[in-house]
This record gives sequence, structure tokens and C-alpha cells, in this order.
Amino acid sequence: MYGDLGNKLVQQAKRTQNLAHLPPYQTELVRAVTREVRDLDKDVSALLEPFQGSFHPTDDQAVACTLLVNHLSMRRNKRCLLAYHHTRIDRLEELVWKGYDVVDLAGQPARDGSGNTSGAPNIANSDGSMSNLSPQEEDYVRQYSDLLAAYKGQWTDIDLTGSLEPPRDLFIDVRVLKDAGEIQTEYG
Amino acid sequence: MNAAEYGCLDAILTDAEKVPCKFELDVPELGYLDNNPAQPLKSGATIGLPLWLAELLALANRAPSSADEDAKSFVSLNLPPSLSNEVMSALKADPRAVPLRDQSHNFYGLGTRMLDLFEEKEICAILRRTFVTRAADIALHAGKAGATDDMGVGAGEDFLRGLEEWERKLFKKAHDGAKGTKEWMEGVKKH
Repeated sequence: MYGDLGNKLVQQAKRTQNLAHLPPYQTELVRAVTREVRDLDKDVSALLEPFQGSFHPTDDQAVACTLLVNHLSMRRNKRCLLAYHHTRIDRLEELVWKGYDVVDLAGQPARDGSGNTSGAPNIANSDGSMSNLSPQEEDYVRQYSDLLAAYKGQWTDIDLTGSLEPPRDLFIDVRVLKDAGEIQTEYG
Repeated sequence: MNAAEYGCLDAILTDAEKVPCKFELDVPELGYLDNNPAQPLKSGATIGLPLWLAELLALANRAPSSADEDAKSFVSLNLPPSLSNEVMSALKADPRAVPLRDQSHNFYGLGTRMLDLFEEKEICAILRRTFVTRAADIALHAGKAGATDDMGVGAGEDFLRGLEEWERKLFKKAHDGAKGTKEWMEGVKKH
């Protein structure tokens, strides 16, 4: 029935929350749900057609009921679509803060594949691209990274995306890159 | 419904739980709801509809001018099987013995939603007592699972299987909390 596909999307989103990586974007499912909304809208228009704009719900209760069901189904689908995309966007923003950029994220399936012990082949999403992200999501990540970079640029002395773990020691190890001759530190 | 609830996945999934609805009028176009698109939906037909559809169909006022109180909405709601008398008596007897997940993945969510629509003081009291009793049990199991390093998953998983979504979250929080405290205590000793 109407709304079942939307439910599948939300179940996907729920699963995503418990996964370490971002599963592939459900292009087909999203498309099917939007198609369902369009069909419902068409039904509503067809139902209202004979009334020429003078529909009275009390006079025609069966039609009113059908219209309400159609309307609620569309609203439900919208809610499912929003929730699905919101879950993914949240995850993507989190990954950007962790320092991934669009190339890392778009290339994720290849890495997942190599670490996949079950040997199952990667399922590319329907447009044949190997990315787990939809083109819109890739664009979002790109622009969000730019925003974050601009934001970080304001405070060059603070690493906003750095680790929050305080150092355990007063000293840190450094790797000497070039010969600096003799160095005198505070402690000799 | 507030904005946080609108986007909450668990709330959306709770909204998909089915509730028995009795249609109060014939609707020619809605036969598909009863898996029979060719036939009109007859008045009196009882179908399980998801909450998102059922609630508003039951609340919608189809004839605001009519004085007849009973014939006002499209459908009349009934309590879902997971809140039936049988389940309630089982919970009354021993809340811990009922695998709530088999009743509904979002048992308490569904209960809360239904009790918004029905005046059922007894169910409300039973659900509350059930949660309190089971929560204590959950805390106990969660603490145990954290205490052993070899992960008591075997028994833990069996226990988890009977928990509904909200209880699982509680379990996870209790478990992570106990583990976090333990780790922190060890860190304190070192320095």
C-alpha cells in the first residue's frame, strides 16, 4: 500500500545509524517514493476534476475520505524522504568534521570492498557510479567542506577539528626533517 | 507533534505500526487498502491501518454540522493486538516474562500513542509498572555485560532479543555508562 516504500527508506536510515560506514544511496527507492507522491497528486487532481472547484466534503464523504487518505499518504512519504536524507546528511557532516573530503567519501566503496571478508561484490547504485553518495550529496559535501574550511580559517591558531584528547605528557615527539645543527633548549 | 519528533526515525517507525480500524462508510476508491482494488471498501470493514493514516482518519470530522456524535469520523479505532487483554494480563502476571519485541518493535511508543487516543487507565498503569520492573532488569544485565571482558554476548543477546526499541536504547546507555565509568576509574588510578 502507499507509504510502504517510504517505510523501507526509514528502515534503511535506521540501519545507517548503527553502521560505521555510509551505505549506498537508495536512488531507486527514493525515485519510487517520489513517483508515488506524483501519482497520488495526479489521483487527487482527477478526483477533484468533476467538481470544478466547488467541492463540499460533507456532501461527498466517500470522495472526501479518499482525498484525505491520498493527502496523508503524500505527507507520510514526504516525512520519510526528509528523514532519510537528514540521517545521511548528519552522517556526512560528521565525516567532514572528522577530516574526510569528497574524494575520500566518494571513493569509500572501493576501500570497503578490499576489507570485505565475505567477498560479496560491491553493488553499484543504479546510475553505474561506484560512489555511495548521490551526486547531490557529493555536491553538499564539497560545499560543506568549503564552509568548514572558511570557518576554520578565521582562527589559524586553533585547530577546530583537532583531537579533544589532552596530551598526556608535557613533551611531544618531533621528527627532525632537516639538519639544524646544534640546538639549545630550555632544559639544555 | 514537535519538530524533533517529525524527524525522529523511531517516531516514524512507530507511526507505521498497524491499528485495527473499522470503516464507517463505503469508499469506492479505497479497495486497495483491503488488498482488493477492484472492489469498493464497504462500511463496517475492519482493516489494519498504519497509525499515520488511522489516527487522522479517526479524528477527522467528516460532517461538522451533523449533531450525530457517533457518525462523525471515517473510521473507528480499536486497540491493536499488542495492547490486547491477553497481553495485558500476561504483563500483569510477570512483566519480565513477555518478549515485548514480539508484540511490537516500538511497544511503548505505540502504547503512548494509543493512550493519547483512548482513555484506558488500567493499560496505562500496567505499562508503567512493566517499564519500571523491566528497567531494573535491564540495568542489571547491562552492568553484567560490562563487567566481564570476554563480553557476555551469548546470554546478553538472548536477553536483548525480547527488548523493544526503547528498552534496547536504555540497555545500550546503561552498558556504555558502566563501561565508561570503569575505564575512567582505571585512568584515575594510573595518575
